[in-house]
Parts: sequence; structure tokens; C-alpha cells
Amino acid sequence: MSLKRITKELNDLGRDPPTSCSAGPVGDDIYHWQASIMGPPDSPYAGGVFFLSIHFPTDYPFKPPKIAFTTKIYHPNINANGNICLDILKDQWSPALTISKVLLSICSLLTDANPDDPLVPEIAHIYKTDRAKYEATAREWTKKYAV
Amino acid sequence: MTSVQSEDNSSLIYGDDFDDDDESIDLYESQTTATCSMGDTACHKLNSLVSQESEFDFDEDQFSGNESDDELLVDPMTLSKKALDDDKGGSSLKYECLTTQDILDRMLKRVHHLQPVFSIPSEDILVLMQRYDWNEERLLEEWTEKMDELLVEAGINTSNPGDKLNITMRGIKHRSDFNCFICCEVRSTETFSLECGHEYCIECYRRYISDRLNEGNVITCMDCALALKNEDIDAIMGTPSSARLMDSSIKSFIQKHNRNYKWCPYADCKCIIHLNDTSYLQEYTRLHCSRFVTCKFSHIFCFGCGYGMHAPADCNVTMAWVKKARKESENLNWVLSHTKECPKCSVNIEKNGGCNHMVCSSCKYEFCWICSGEWGPHGRSFFQCTMYKNDDEKQKASVENSKKALKRYTFYYRVFNEHEVSAKLDWKLGQTVGQKVKAMQEKMGVSWIEGQFLAESLQILNEGRTVLKWSFAVAFYSDASHNLTKIFVDNQMLLSNAVEQLSELLQIKNPETTMKRKSEFYNKAGYVRNRTRALIECGRDLLRKCICKPVD
Repeated sequence: MSLKRITKELNDLGRDPPTSCSAGPVGDDIYHWQASIMGPPDSPYAGGVFFLSIHFPTDYPFKPPKIAFTTKIYHPNINANGNICLDILKDQWSPALTISKVLLSICSLLTDANPDDPLVPEIAHIYKTDRAKYEATAREWTKKYAV
Repeated sequence: MTSVQSEDNSSLIYGDDFDDDDESIDLYESQTTATCSMGDTACHKLNSLVSQESEFDFDEDQFSGNESDDELLVDPMTLSKKALDDDKGGSSLKYECLTTQDILDRMLKRVHHLQPVFSIPSEDILVLMQRYDWNEERLLEEWTEKMDELLVEAGINTSNPGDKLNITMRGIKHRSDFNCFICCEVRSTETFSLECGHEYCIECYRRYISDRLNEGNVITCMDCALALKNEDIDAIMGTPSSARLMDSSIKSFIQKHNRNYKWCPYADCKCIIHLNDTSYLQEYTRLHCSRFVTCKFSHIFCFGCGYGMHAPADCNVTMAWVKKARKESENLNWVLSHTKECPKCSVNIEKNGGCNHMVCSSCKYEFCWICSGEWGPHGRSFFQCTMYKNDDEKQKASVENSKKALKRYTFYYRVFNEHEVSAKLDWKLGQTVGQKVKAMQEKMGVSWIEGQFLAESLQILNEGRTVLKWSFAVAFYSDASHNLTKIFVDNQMLLSNAVEQLSELLQIKNPETTMKRKSEFYNKAGYVRNRTRALIECGRDLLRKCICKPVD
């Protein structure tokens, strides 16, 4: 069942690709995808291209896909290993969500971080107290790792 | 009462002179007997005489039918436990034993009461209550503040129920060639959707719901926030599955209110003890008595720490003791016989080679295994440590001290353990008691109620042992030089003796002898009960006056 659904999502992505992101399988394994997100223009990540890895569980879509950044990024909700703290990837996952919707959610997480539920408390602290410094560092990292 | 010995007769007279509510008499008594050696039988006889008021006291507690104990009358085990409860509190603790179903029934009753306030269907109120963790006050508060928002948030359909579209949308339908978005299969199947019209095949819905039944949260439509009601869940699953959801919701309620609700810690026991308010207790009781509760299946445990009955120790002493025991018992012997502490960082070091030049793997300190001194000087004049040196005395003293402390602990741990083992054996004995009673009924025509003294005695024996066991934890943490500690230790000895005598009595196999010695059972059991009470009281004094302090 998961195979059919993943294939369908892949076809839908090809037919109607969302702006600013793309995704597809790595090699022959349909359960392992790579995705890319363009840094949103109104964020300090503008101009960068961020790569992510996607692993589908065999009971997809009843269990959420595992998604992580492979490009380094300076963000309160994304840690050094690229793990993302996002509710729809955990307990708020619903079988009606798709990879395309999830990627869009990640895009909006880049524009609006959630410092009240941080994965990296240090970054969240700077985000809340010295926004300019946060933006400068994020821009610097984007330039260094994502351009 | 023809077989009653003269000793017992005199005791009956003595009994009237003693007010059994006055605990200080027990304390005083142990003070006066403290000077007698335990081997002194005369002294012991005196003791048993003094405390014979127990026989009356015993009967009184057993058969006076105290408030709300009507149903307990059939269960002698619980009865004598009740008596012990009185020992501990003075005024007894009020609590209730529930199951998740009891709690749910109460919640449903509340929902029923709330219905006129909300004027929406009860099913919807149930969803709201679940969402608010069954916290009625908070729900009502927010309800009066922002009714409409609340309904939307909780995923309750707010559109006009007369709307025709809704009626056709909601529920299970049969569709041919349905393309389910979730599984991407195209086939003829049953489907389900709520008023929102998000329609998926019934198999996907079943899978989705069964994953969430144990989480205890409101289950919503897969694509929006609209909540599924219990009737929807049962209809989709084809079985009354919503009961499981309610059960897990109540479980998470208990988890969140664990100050007032506690699961019985015994294996496979599904009882929940609810202790709401203790302000009615006397201040002394509230502050200094552990809250021991009993579930429907006579499992006694402490509401505060979840361990079994641990009087006279309080929760702090219990925790400290258990932690220490866990930490030390298993490794203690091995560590003692095979290792030495690093003189600098005190980490335990095992010597695994012949060389006496030790390098601590933890702090890199180099020292000599034989004298525990720094290695430095050894290099030049080899093994100067084999020469006798006077200034070693200080070091030796500290080693001696720690050894003494360990010895002390080992002693207390051993007695504690021995009583635990004995308690287990007593429990085994208990299983034969039922047969004994039966044998007596058959052979001697003894009525059931008459045979119950055996079960009661056994219960009292168990309690006595438990208290005795934990008293060693209290003794370990107490200042041994204090006078009260000495009294405590004497009380321990008295109880210990009493317990052994009762235990011996219970070993008698012949039912006729047992029946003949019935009065002895009453006397001994009553005595154990009194000694138990005295020891608990004495232990509480130690704790209250900070003579017993759990330090590691």
C-alpha cells in the first residue's frame, strides 16, 4: 500500500511541482528520497539551496516520513544533525498530509521560526533577544554552506 | 475458656487498668523494661501481662463494625488491616478504591449534569471534556469566555444540524470505484466521512483509529480538526472500540493528577486509589504519618512513595534505604574483598596484576597498593612501606571507620533481609491456613467465623514482621547514642520476640491442638499488635525529633 501512495505522490510532484521545493527518489529505492528547498526570499536563508533526506517508513502514510536537513543550517528548530522539530512530523502527523505539504511547512518554518519550542536553545535565545545577530549568523551560514 | 491459664486470667484484670488509647504507656513500658535482658523470662512474662488489654482491644476493633466497613465484615484480612490503620493515624485516612471504569462513569455523570449548561449533545460535551483533560472548571471558564471559538477548536460541528448537506455527508457509505487518497487504491468499498466531506475508505480509517486508541486524545478527521465521536468510532471499527479510547483517556487523566490518584503498584492490579483532601486529619497525623492505603485486593501500599507498607520508616527513610540497598547489596561483598579505594579520588580499584605500583585509571594518581601512599618515594628506596611507621595510625583509623560503617550497614541489611525472607515464608504458611480452617470445620464442627482467628493472627503476624523489617532501616539511620533510639531498639526486641512466638503458634499442624489453644492465639496476636503499634509510635518520635535522619 505504501508503495502505491509514494508513487502517486511522486507523480503528483512531477505533474504539479510546488514553487521553491523539489523532491524525488535517490537511485532505485523508492523509500529513500532527496529533497531541496530554496531559502525563502523574506528570510535570512534567501539565496541558499538546502538539501534534505527523506525516509519513508513501510507503514507510510500511517506513520510520518523521517525528514532531516543534510545541509548545515542555523535555525532554532533544526539541530546540528539536521533534525527538524516540527509537530506534523511527530504527533500531529496525519495520513492525509503529503510530502509536498510537509516541505511547504518546512519552508514556512524557515521564515517563521518557533523559538518557544526550540531544538537548539542557544539559537532560540539569540533569536528572542538579539534578532539582528541571529539574522546575521543565519545569513553567514547560508552563504558558507548553502550557496 | 476452660483452658485459659492463670496468667491469662490475671491479665484480664490487668487489662481494665490500661487505657489502650494512651500510647505513652507503651513507651513508658518499654522504658521500664529496657533494663531487663531479653533472656529473662520473668521480665517477659511481665510484659505479656502488661499488654494483655490487647484481647479486648482486639475484639473491639474486629467486631464493632466501624463506619463504612459493612462490606468489609466478610473479609477478615481487610478488617485487621483497618485496625492497623487506626494505629498509624489515630483518625483514619479517608480514601476510595476505584477502577478506570468507576472514574469514567463519574465523568459521564458529570457530562450528564453539564448538558443543560452547554445545551449541545452529550457526545459533544464528552469530546470537550476529553480535550480539557476532564477538567470541568477550566472548561466551564473558557466556555463562558469564548463559546464559539471553543467549539471550533475542539472540532465540534457548529453548522446548522438541519442542513441537508451535512446529513448526506456524514457517516458510512458504500461507493463503487472509490479512489482513496490515503491508500491510493481504486475499488468498491465502504467509506467514511464527517460533515467536512473528507472521505476515505473504511480500512484506512480503521488503521488510523486503531493507531490512536491508546493515546487517549480526541481523534479527529484525517484532514481537518473535526472530532470523531464515540459512536463514529464504534461504527467504523465495527466493535465497541471507543471504550478503549475512553480507558486510555482516563489513564492519562490519572497520570496528570497523580497527586490525588495512584495506581496500586502490585503486579496486574488495576485498582486506583483516590485520596482527595487530607485537611480533615489532625496536623500531627498529616505531617508525621505515612499514608498507607489498601486496594480492593488487600494490597497495602504507601500513597506517598508507592512502596509497600513501610512503617515505622517514613518515605524519606524508605527511599534512602532502598537506594542504598540497591546500590550496595549486590556488589558490596565483591568490592570489599577485591578492591581498595584510590587514596586520592576514592574510586574503587581492582588490582589485576602483580605489580604494586598502581595508577588510578580515574585520576591518574600513582600510589603503592601496600601502603596506599604516594608512589614517588618508592621509586628511590624500594618498598620503604614495608617498614613499620607510626604516622600510619591516622590513615588506619579512617579505614577502620569506613569499615565500621560498612559493617554496621551490613548488619542492618542482613536483619532487614532476614525478616523479608521470613515474611515470605509466613505468606506460604498463610496459604495453608485456609486448609486448616477447613479441616477444623469438617472434623470438629467449628463454624467458619470461629475459625477466622487463624487468618486474623496470620495477618497480624505479617504486619508485625513488616514493621519489624522496616524498623531496622529506621535504626540504621538513627543516632545510636540517643536515649530514644535505645528505647526504640528495646521495642524492636520486644516485637521481635512476640512475632517469633506467634509464628511458632501458627506452625501447629494439628487442628485440635490449634482449637484448644485458641485463647493463646488471641493473646499472642493481641500482644504482637500492641508491640507493633508501640514500635511505630516510637519510630515516629525518632523521625519527628530528627534523631533519625536519612543521610547517605
